Amino acid sequence: MSTLVLLFNLSLRNILRYRRRNFFLFAAIAVAVGGTTLSNSLIRGWQVSMLETAVSGLTGHIKLQAPGFADDPSLQRAFSSDTQISLSQQIPVAGVTQRINLPAVISSERETRGVALVGVVPTQEDISLYRDLEIEGEGLTGANDGRLLIGKALAQTLQTRVGRRVVIIVQGADGKSRERGYRVSGVFDAPMRWPEKVLVFTGLDALQGTLAGDGLRDPITEISVVLSNEGDRAAAAAELAAAHPSLIVQDWRQMQPQIAEIVDMVEGVMVIWFFLIMSGLTFGLVNTLIASVMQRTQELGMLRALGMNKRLLLVQVVLECVGIMIVGVVAGLALGIVMVLALGDGIDLSAFSESVEAIGISTLLRPVLTVEDLLLFGGLSVLVGFFASYFPARRALKISPLMAMNR
Amino acid sequence: MTHSVPNAGPVSSGQESSVQESSQKDSLVKTPVVVCRGVKRIYQQDSVPVHALRGVDLEIQEGEFVSLAGPSGSGKSTLLNSIGGLDGFDAGTVTVGGTDLGALNSAELAELRLHKIGFVFQAYNLIPVLSAQENVEFILQLQGVPSQQRRERATEALASLGLGDLAHRRPGELSGGQQQRVATARAIVTKPVLLLADEPTANLDSKTTSELLEVLQQLNQQQGMTIVTATHDPIVMGFTSRQVAMLDGEIHQDTGSTG
Ligand SMILES: Nc1ncnc2c1ncn2[C@@H]1O[C@H](COP(=O)(O)OP(=O)(O)O)[C@@H](O)[C@H]1O
Ligand SMILES: [Mg+2]
Repeated sequence: MSTLVLLFNLSLRNILRYRRRNFFLFAAIAVAVGGTTLSNSLIRGWQVSMLETAVSGLTGHIKLQAPGFADDPSLQRAFSSDTQISLSQQIPVAGVTQRINLPAVISSERETRGVALVGVVPTQEDISLYRDLEIEGEGLTGANDGRLLIGKALAQTLQTRVGRRVVIIVQGADGKSRERGYRVSGVFDAPMRWPEKVLVFTGLDALQGTLAGDGLRDPITEISVVLSNEGDRAAAAAELAAAHPSLIVQDWRQMQPQIAEIVDMVEGVMVIWFFLIMSGLTFGLVNTLIASVMQRTQELGMLRALGMNKRLLLVQVVLECVGIMIVGVVAGLALGIVMVLALGDGIDLSAFSESVEAIGISTLLRPVLTVEDLLLFGGLSVLVGFFASYFPARRALKISPLMAMNR
Repeated sequence: MTHSVPNAGPVSSGQESSVQESSQKDSLVKTPVVVCRGVKRIYQQDSVPVHALRGVDLEIQEGEFVSLAGPSGSGKSTLLNSIGGLDGFDAGTVTVGGTDLGALNSAELAELRLHKIGFVFQAYNLIPVLSAQENVEFILQLQGVPSQQRRERATEALASLGLGDLAHRRPGELSGGQQQRVATARAIVTKPVLLLADEPTANLDSKTTSELLEVLQQLNQQQGMTIVTATHDPIVMGFTSRQVAMLDGEIHQDTGSTG
């Protein structure tokens, strides 16, 4: 134990001894680690944003639909709004919402477009993107509000605005098309552009009234469930599938497999990125430490001559290497945290909104820093330090006690 | 140093003290500290064999102060390195304090150097980042001596070499002569059975040379420390009790034990 203290002391003093050289090494490590911390927090932020987007679209964590609806979305494949959603106690639920969500055609005097007509209960929609809409004019007052809420982009295309009328054609429960005029109550601005182009909201009860036929009394086409913890997703889906054998239960990963894949890739991307940067750094670290060992050949030979065994010599070189790494890494993590805090409000990417949406995130990229990531990459860096110390240590082991005699 | 009786210096490690004790009891038949028999060392230099030692026979008794003289290249360092367990040899046997060095692996040799032999090198070879005191304590720490005892023994060793006031200086802040005295303090603080010095005064002027040699002589006379020093300096030889002269890898002249 006291020997370890001795070696630690010696390593520390040797680090301080080559102040200038080691300062540059520290700085390089700190900048590299700080940079990876920042870039990884942005990648992590992107992941979180993608996940939020995927869930807070209209999907939720889990969606229940009638069999066949995905291939043929029509009111003939609806189910009853009496369907009850209940999950066991250990799975907290953030919210449940029922909707009709059908393809429709919307026309103004000037233009016609295909859209998704969504009948909502506005009070239930605090778990979806509906909550984030900035509305010009009036929002829907309730489930029986028979007016329309359309996106800003769609309003531009249709060359319509708040208070004007538009016509919607949609297939009813009997398979026949209904054509009906609606008044635009409000125009919404969404954090992303696609909802502004394709989503058209109206009250659920009002829509049920319009579409009613001989079949179900209060039909809905989907129930969307948002959980408090995304980690409960699989368990919740299993419970719901068991409770509702007549419905198709899918989670967001099944409904948006491409996004799921990208979200999964993120960890890999972070690790690869980390090792790319670290390998460059390791090269410099190894070189510097080998130089430091060579420079002290006589001194290290003297330690051997005095009777220090190879194991202790090895420990000393490794301690020196890891010591430099630890100080650099700690400084780097601190630097990274400072940079992330400075960027706390996120990076505004709205100038690139089209391409940004293509990668599935909103126009504001917020860095996300987790303690786990900090510990992981801090720990990995120290491991890299151990690895890097192998080469100078191997060099040090070749030093014979006779080398104390040179000069 | 508390021991004033010659030959009574115990070795710090327990297992080795038994060797020492038996030689004390049997004080009429002294076991030599160093025994070399037919020691040969052949270096290959550009695949040409260089005969550095051509069969050296040498016995050094406890309490002797021996100078190893001879021209450059005569094999002084090679012989000291063989005796000190720093380098191997190609034929013959070397025994130090009763231990046959030829039978030891490199880890055992390191152990032997640590516990039984003190070294003073030509280039003072102190650890530059440690103070004089720490340099001396360092080797005790390698031996696993507890800190309180370490501090006392180092302080005592430095004081005995007249370095009490300089204990906190680093080697860079000391003169050559002072550094060599710190190195000597480091070499004797472990109470080795043998002190080896390879041209310790080569970098010193004649005044500091005499000062260092007085210190070594005192160690030899007051504590019975066995000392072997390689040199080609007549001043150094003047201080020693026995002069061995080497030439071309052989012992050429030996004034013998004057006892
Ligand atoms: N490592 C070595 N490799 C090759 N030759 C060596 C080596 N060390 C010493 N020699 C040779 O061995 C001979 C004795 O050297 P050395 O013991 O250093 O002499 P001294 O110390 O008396 O000057 C010299 O001829 C020297 O060149
Ligand atoms: Mg020599």
